[in-house]
Amino acid sequence: MSKSKPLKKSPRTTGHARFKVGDRVRVKDLPNLFYSRTQMYVRGVVGTIAACTYQDVIPEDEAFNRDGRLEQYYIIRFRQKDLWPEYPFDNDTVQTESPERWLEPAEK
Amino acid sequence: MSTTSDVEPVRIALLEALRNMEKTWEVLAPRYGVTNPNPPWKTSLTAMCDCLAASGALPALDRRRAEDELADSVYREVPAPERQLLALVHIMLSRGLVSETDLVGRMRAVRSRLESA
Amino acid sequence: MSHTHKPGDGGAERHAAPMVEEITDFEVLEIAVRELAIEHGLFTAEDHRRFTEWTESIGPAAGSRLVAKAWIDPAFKARVMEDAVRACKEIGIDWAEPTGFGTPSDYMNLRVLEDTPTLHHVIVCTLCSCYPRPLLGMSPEWYRTTNYRRRLVRWPRQVLAEFGLILPPEVELRVEDSNQKCRFMVLPVQPEGTENWTEQQLAQIVTRDCMIGVALPRPGRTADIHPVQKARRPVQSSEHSGEPAHEHDK
Repeated sequence: MSKSKPLKKSPRTTGHARFKVGDRVRVKDLPNLFYSRTQMYVRGVVGTIAACTYQDVIPEDEAFNRDGRLEQYYIIRFRQKDLWPEYPFDNDTVQTESPERWLEPAEK
Repeated sequence: MSTTSDVEPVRIALLEALRNMEKTWEVLAPRYGVTNPNPPWKTSLTAMCDCLAASGALPALDRRRAEDELADSVYREVPAPERQLLALVHIMLSRGLVSETDLVGRMRAVRSRLESA
Repeated sequence: MSHTHKPGDGGAERHAAPMVEEITDFEVLEIAVRELAIEHGLFTAEDHRRFTEWTESIGPAAGSRLVAKAWIDPAFKARVMEDAVRACKEIGIDWAEPTGFGTPSDYMNLRVLEDTPTLHHVIVCTLCSCYPRPLLGMSPEWYRTTNYRRRLVRWPRQVLAEFGLILPPEVELRVEDSNQKCRFMVLPVQPEGTENWTEQQLAQIVTRDCMIGVALPRPGRTADIHPVQKARRPVQSSEHSGEPAHEHDK
């Protein structure tokens, strides 16, 4: 099982997380060159950082077995009302996980 | 947007010949009074999927995307877990990880071995 | 590799019943493709044996034990919320198995989602059907279908209603999409009337569906029962339509 690598819970070379819990972020809509784990339904949507999870190689790099860059992963919380037109329940939310390179700061 | 997999939703003759709806677990188990909800080979199939992902031969996301496409098309009528098995073999054939010729030959040998045991 | 599972985790999922007395092409196909894969060096027989053993050892009883223990022991619950993978070791579950660093699907980043009276979680993996297997065993078939995965994020309350779960509108329904390496399990609210129950009694009502979030635990409910619906009819994807579909896999 030589190609599975353990996750690095403590930072290796990066050690830096751009965002913290509570920050407002927007998911970028980057072009998919290959299989991406960033779902279409969150692209361009603004959410709130709910947690910092771990640091890891980004999936797109890992898919090609490059020694990829280490970066912080986050759980982001979105309001359902911001994801879907006319979603009827005010308080409902969705959370997904994202690496830092897919996120940019958002104002609101 | 790259959401298509590299599996062709076409029918593969060998697998079409194997998909006997009368021999699926959901049909056979009640007939024999077997209460296990899954056939005995299901854990081996699951392990095979994990091993293929662990070795890098067939990453999980690739496999699942292709399996989703096949499950919604070619193998839609087949119950799980036979659907998952056929989809896996279909993907492996499409990617050249195994060949139909080898598979036919090996199936013959395996069946003969099992039946003489 | 040592097995630290308690008896009954995976064993409870197996049934001591007579075998089907015929050799199906499906059985033969699985063996044949596996043998060829090993011969072609796609994986080793030893790895396959190890993963098969692991698959047979897992089941939802472990998750039930974790929830019951968290209900009884607030300090344990705090440890679960602080570092769930480490807390799992206390109940005999090691997320490092069977490779020493987890599986290529489960990894080692469990996060337990704690429900409150105003917050209810439900888990899904829209991309592929990732699932916390070390704690819950193999995922149910309905969880793997595109039907569940596409609809839960968009129409969560309708999907939950199909499982018989209806939440008050003011409760926050939080869908957790496990699209990366974190894995999730729901820690439901302990139901009323069970305050003096033992850990074993509590574990019995924490079914798999409760830990996915499509059911709530309650006294007397010790099994997940779904209406039998054969998915032979076309599934209507409601992703871009105004109507949720009503026909689906369970």
